Amino acid sequence: MKVLTRIGFWLLVAAIGLFSIFPFYYAVISSLRSGADLFSVAYLPERLDFSNYVAVFERQPFGTNIVNSVIVAASVVALSLALGITAAYAFGRIRFRGRSLLLMTILAVSMFPQVAVLSGMFELIRSFGLYNTLPGLILANLMLTLPFTVWVLTTFMRELPKEIEEAAFVDGATPWIVVRRIFLPLMMPAAVTTGLLAFIVAWNEFLFALTFTLTNERRTVPPAIALMSGSTAYELPWGTIMAASVIVTLPIIALVLVFQRKIVAGLTAGAVKG
Amino acid sequence: MADVVLKNVRKSFGRAHVIHGVDLAIGDGEFIVFVGPSGCGKSTLLRLIAGLEDITSGDLFIGGERVNDLAPAKRGIAMVFQSYALYPHMNVYDNMAFGLEMAKSSKAEIDAKVRAAARMLQIETLLDRKPRQLSGGQRQRVAIGRAIVRDPKVFLFDEPLSNLDAALRVQTRIEIAKLHTDTRATMIYVTHDQVEAMTLADRIVVLNAGRIEQVGTPLDLYHRPANLFVAGFIGSPQMNFIPCTVAEAGQDGIEARLPDGGTVTVPVSSEGVRAGAAVTLGIRPDHVRLSGQGTLTGRIELVEELGENHLLYVNVGRERHLTVREPGDARHEVGQEVGLSLDGGFCHLFRETGEALPLLKPAGFPTSRPSAASTSIA
Ligand SMILES: Nc1ncnc2c1ncn2[C@@H]1O[C@H](COP(=O)(O)OP(=O)(O)OP(=O)(O)O)[C@@H](O)[C@H]1O
Ligand SMILES: [Mg+2]
Repeated sequence: MKVLTRIGFWLLVAAIGLFSIFPFYYAVISSLRSGADLFSVAYLPERLDFSNYVAVFERQPFGTNIVNSVIVAASVVALSLALGITAAYAFGRIRFRGRSLLLMTILAVSMFPQVAVLSGMFELIRSFGLYNTLPGLILANLMLTLPFTVWVLTTFMRELPKEIEEAAFVDGATPWIVVRRIFLPLMMPAAVTTGLLAFIVAWNEFLFALTFTLTNERRTVPPAIALMSGSTAYELPWGTIMAASVIVTLPIIALVLVFQRKIVAGLTAGAVKG
Repeated sequence: MADVVLKNVRKSFGRAHVIHGVDLAIGDGEFIVFVGPSGCGKSTLLRLIAGLEDITSGDLFIGGERVNDLAPAKRGIAMVFQSYALYPHMNVYDNMAFGLEMAKSSKAEIDAKVRAAARMLQIETLLDRKPRQLSGGQRQRVAIGRAIVRDPKVFLFDEPLSNLDAALRVQTRIEIAKLHTDTRATMIYVTHDQVEAMTLADRIVVLNAGRIEQVGTPLDLYHRPANLFVAGFIGSPQMNFIPCTVAEAGQDGIEARLPDGGTVTVPVSSEGVRAGAAVTLGIRPDHVRLSGQGTLTGRIELVEELGENHLLYVNVGRERHLTVREPGDARHEVGQEVGLSLDGGFCHLFRETGEALPLLKPAGFPTSRPSAASTSIA
């Protein structure tokens, strides 16, 4: 009986692992094959062919696309955290009329499907003169990342003992100093976690990036990949697309590995009480 | 000079009224202790003085200046929190230096003050540690150190010792008393602990449901409680209360009739008291004597040995109990019938409203036990 439970357990683990890893594995395999090979099903690489990886950069300004993505994602993370932490301070600590209503509204914003706000957002971006620019994309992406950054950070801020901040006030700190010298260091784990999530959202964002850009040089990676064309109009450059996908996944994996310990700390928040 | 004066101070949180018009004058250099049951508003009052809560109405003066609208840092106060509230990410040195840094003191000055305070509190070797690497007692010292370095005119303590074990509590209590003698700063101290209140205070403020019940020196409160609440709150074990009726109100006291018919003459002013009125008689456990033919008789229900003395819980009928404290080891057993005598000179009488009738002997309520064997009080 015991053995059966163990086997069942490991089968389940294997199934879950397979389910989550297989798509990425298949992408890696496909990116290493080319030509007609691509259209046969294979689960093991027969030979390593890096031509797809070279082709990604040759046929379109993919380097520029990556730089664009980095600029957009990094700016979104920086802005989300700056706004999120200050907003969290206001929501978590200052009593004002309509606080919960405002918080609810922020949450409600994130409930709309992206498509619903697409046309409105388009008008907004164009009237600001930001169409086909990176700042336009940054602004649009903030709409996706701010709600959850504000919420998570507010929740976290509420868990920080109030006395710490009161002690700082008695010590003569201004609210700004309290945020910078007391809250920011204490909120680092939460900030890293939400920052990373914001990065992933902005990095993978497709719909806004597709709609609000016009030229290849202004595109971020996801629409660039989607709009890749083969050597002829009839060819779907499957291998190249897979290679590009693998390339853009790497930075995220790297980031997660680097911040892994911080994320875990952030997920077990509340351990900060001194 | 930092006297603290509260004039009709009120505080409400929305519709909840928490402090109902407190008037209190605290002298410069005085050690004041707030006591009262949980939820009576001690912390709130302290936080009003600190400036961590806004005063709803009334005036607060520190050193003669009206500080209602002044930020905490500008009031010349320092606060020690019950949870210590150290900055978890800073080491001990930075924790203590933070306030001085905010005040834009020079590096050299900060260093000198932090090290002086650390020496005084014997935490010099801990300056590089983070709060989480400290024991509770050490954290408490750092919290006190953080208050000291700012050289405040008024120290505010909110139950600073409640997280410490008994031995450390006594030690830190003595250190706080020493800090008071050394700095001569005004100190306001909130506590649940009677011993802390009695030993530290110049004057004790007894709070109940957002009002001051009585202000006075520790012995004043012990010997001359102004009302039933204070009488019941100060002193442990609690004062015994017996409902009585007035048999006779005369010049040199009131003759109170006990429920079982016996009478006790208590030397209190009988002004405005008529025969037949309901009163409550109060007597401390130390002042009840066991005797052959007492005013009351009862059966011992529980004996508690404390070493230097012992407590007897005596059932005197009708589900009423009296506590008796006797010196030394118990000489009685559970179930034994005993007589209890109540000496009127040691009793208090309270009107139906709870207000105490003034004692006739103005000075020197007897402080020794009625019997020859004397024990210390409190
Ligand atoms: N921010 C607040 N909002 C609403 N009510 C409050 C707030 N702070 C305190 N109170 C109420 O005020 C009353 C007094 O609280 P306070 O903390 O001053 O009590 P306390 O005497 O310090 O009690 P304890 O001995 O348990 O610490 C309580 O009934 C409490 O519920
Ligand atoms: Mg309290």
